[in-house]
Amino acid sequence: MIPLSLSETTLPTVTTQAPDLDYWLLSPLLVVFAAGVIGVIVEAFVPAQRRYSIQTALAMVAVGVAFVLTLVQVGALPADSAGLTLAFATVVVDRPSLFFQGVILALALASLLLIAERRDGESAFTGQAAAVPGSEEERAHVLAGSQHTEVYPLVMFAVLGMQLFTAANDFLTMFIALEVMSLPLYLLCGLARRRRLFSQEAALKYFLLGAFSSAFFLFGIAMVYGYAGAVEFAAVRAAGSSGGLIDGGEPLLLIGIAMIGVGMLFKVGTVPFHNWKPDVYQGAPTPITALMASGTLVAAFGAMLRVFYVAFGTTVAQWRPMLWVVAILTMVVAAVIAVTQRDIKRLLAYSSVVHAGFILTAVVAANADGLTGAMFYLAAYGFTTVGAFAIVTLVRNPDNGAEAGDLTQWAGLGRTSPFLAASLGLFLLAFAGIPLTSGFIGKFAVFEAAVAAGATPLVVVGVLSSAVTAFFYVRIIVLMFFAEPAENAPRVLKPGILTGTTVGLGVAATLLLGILPGPVLEHVIPQPAAETSEAVAAEHTAADSLFAR
Amino acid sequence: MNIVPLQTTAAAIGGGETATFYILGSIVVLAALGVVFSRRAVYSALMMAVVMIGLAVFYGINEAPFLMVVQIVVYTGAVLMLFLFVLMLVGVSSSDSLVETIRGHRLLTAVIALCFLVPLVSGLSSIVAGEPVGLSAGVAAAGGSIPWLASEIIYRYVIAFEATGALLITAVLGALVLAHAVRTKKKRTQKQMSMDRIRSGHPTPLPGPGTYARHNAIDMPALLPDGSVSELSINPVLAARNPEDQHGVPEDMRYSIGAIPESGGRPDAQASNGDEQREDESSWTR
Amino acid sequence: MDPMNYIVLAAIVFTIGAVGVLVRRNAIIVFMCVELMLNACNLAFVAFARMHGGIEGQVIAFFVMVVAAAEVVVGLAIIMQIFRTRRSASIDDANLLKN
Repeated sequence: MIPLSLSETTLPTVTTQAPDLDYWLLSPLLVVFAAGVIGVIVEAFVPAQRRYSIQTALAMVAVGVAFVLTLVQVGALPADSAGLTLAFATVVVDRPSLFFQGVILALALASLLLIAERRDGESAFTGQAAAVPGSEEERAHVLAGSQHTEVYPLVMFAVLGMQLFTAANDFLTMFIALEVMSLPLYLLCGLARRRRLFSQEAALKYFLLGAFSSAFFLFGIAMVYGYAGAVEFAAVRAAGSSGGLIDGGEPLLLIGIAMIGVGMLFKVGTVPFHNWKPDVYQGAPTPITALMASGTLVAAFGAMLRVFYVAFGTTVAQWRPMLWVVAILTMVVAAVIAVTQRDIKRLLAYSSVVHAGFILTAVVAANADGLTGAMFYLAAYGFTTVGAFAIVTLVRNPDNGAEAGDLTQWAGLGRTSPFLAASLGLFLLAFAGIPLTSGFIGKFAVFEAAVAAGATPLVVVGVLSSAVTAFFYVRIIVLMFFAEPAENAPRVLKPGILTGTTVGLGVAATLLLGILPGPVLEHVIPQPAAETSEAVAAEHTAADSLFAR
Repeated sequence: MNIVPLQTTAAAIGGGETATFYILGSIVVLAALGVVFSRRAVYSALMMAVVMIGLAVFYGINEAPFLMVVQIVVYTGAVLMLFLFVLMLVGVSSSDSLVETIRGHRLLTAVIALCFLVPLVSGLSSIVAGEPVGLSAGVAAAGGSIPWLASEIIYRYVIAFEATGALLITAVLGALVLAHAVRTKKKRTQKQMSMDRIRSGHPTPLPGPGTYARHNAIDMPALLPDGSVSELSINPVLAARNPEDQHGVPEDMRYSIGAIPESGGRPDAQASNGDEQREDESSWTR
Repeated sequence: MDPMNYIVLAAIVFTIGAVGVLVRRNAIIVFMCVELMLNACNLAFVAFARMHGGIEGQVIAFFVMVVAAAEVVVGLAIIMQIFRTRRSASIDDANLLKN
């Protein structure tokens, strides 16, 4: 007989057979993935003139079908459990992940409408990315009407990454999803039709900083793996309460949380890590900016909520101070910088940074209300911001047809094109959090959760920051409606059916979620089963009970 | 009974490993510093290769034979070579100016790095992990290190594995979009080219450069029988780059032939031509 | 020697890489420094895998190599595109976006 040695007591897991995959639960992801792959094949075999119509139809149908499948799955989830896991619990299908996926797909559809929009045969993307800007070759391609329909498969892969990012249930899958989401976006950023040098530099900046931050994310995963001996969220969570595998391994956990936090905070773009946002948002083609500002933000917060609530759910005390500091910095610094911006896309970028700070207060709350508040806020903000960027695509310089970013040019737009100015005004009011818009309900939900968790100082800072940002939103509205039209007044394009639909969707969502938030808050967003409890510990279990593990 | 010590000796860290760690570890750290502080990009890339091979040895010591091979074949062999290819395209001699563009940037970086490194290292080195468990038990159960790795990759992480497919397609598609230019004009056929050539008034091949006549530089013009320079013998691209040198002929040649049209070339410029070009390049790659 | 020494080494190499990203201005070297950081992470994963007696760390290191390969292709394509336009790989020259 061989006596039990140490290695035998903790026999390592050896997987010996393939998981029994439930393809039905994976179907929303698979549809989008298939659309991307088919799109690549279309690029290879279909003549260039017919690609545009096939690719747009394929992408929109795929995203639409995936959206419907997601909705069906929400209904099919068992009522008594939080959700189901797949493939050795590497991917999870629960109410928060399905909610985020649904929102991402809807926002992706809205962005796709902007991506597909063409005016006189010109999309927002360069005709030939390989041609040097300003060269004879580029001119030839513009005259020949070249276009990059590869954009659609790339968008599909980015959407796939976003979906998987919110559904990943271990750090490895999450890291892969992060890269699947980011790589196509790095590429898409550099494909703007106008101001191409600018766009290429945005791509370079986004790429280098993105790779830098994912290295931090990965190092954090390594530390957490060292601490817990596993990367599944459930195992990390269990290790958090039992003290980890290595004696005195506490520093590993702390370093891990900090580094993973850096990686996540970079993706959502909060203050010490926000530098990429204004430049990339400004340089990227505006439809892609719309996709990044809405979809990526939702996906990143979805993943962040899962990581901090599930994996680090038992070590809240360790990460809360860090997020406190970041949230306060974000809300203060970004609001102050935003006031000085002169360009509409940069302004929307800084506004996105400030909003990330607001949502962070919900993450800090670490209770069920925080989760539902953040979910509502993300959905509301996503639709509003897609609408706002859709309007940006419509206002062009009179001479060269590039987008008129300079805010001074927007003066008096309320008189020349009242509908457009009114829609933008509504979006800006929603950003500011004025009642009867979705932004107000979102802010209210988020701040309420933070107060319940005892983060009142954060809420005070948040309210002050809202006031500062409201000032510059209102300033733009005043500029549009009460100032004389500028000398170099922009040419306002008539919104086509695609852009018009996106703007309409944004307006409808902003108003509907603002006036009638009840149905969404009650039915769409999962409700914690436990009643509100004063004890912090009980609240934690309530928040976690929404996630499947 | 004697199987147990066998299992634990495979896990224990002996003196040989300690010595390897410190020797190779210091080489890796020095090479990593070399990556960061080499002025020339190529030196950085070579230092990077040293780091990668050093790490591959560490993987081997840490019971990861497959990763050791992958590290050398894929990382050092493919990824780093890709870096070197791009460096060649950009200009091998491209070097970074080490002048600070933002005042105090480097000092600030040093301070941040210290603030980062000191707690990190002190926190990590305070931990004593003790004897590593080692992989021998799992390797025995799975029937080998590589079968174990494979089953985890393909069974447990099958979704991540499939997702990397999307990643690789993205990479290929991205490279294609950014690098491949579609032809806008029709490709000229052989027939058209031959007709153009006859019409050009010079149907025969152009004279070759004087590469092997007296000098080994391709920008050396060939001499016609009467001793004059044949302008057709030099590639117009080369001539366009540095025209006055192309028409000049070095001193010794000038000496022997005598009758060369004076074109204002600097006779000794030929020798230093290569260096000059390199400097040119480095100034626009800086 | 304690196996944590490997982790300390990984942390040092990671920090050197991070410093490189911050101080260097040639985009290719910056990107190489990011690769250095990823390599440091891999060392930590492999060392932890041996410490815990599980293969998961090695699996992750393997996936990281795949990701790094894909990232390199995209990154170098972007760098080449910029280089063709402005004949420079310096991120300082790429300052149109500076505010």
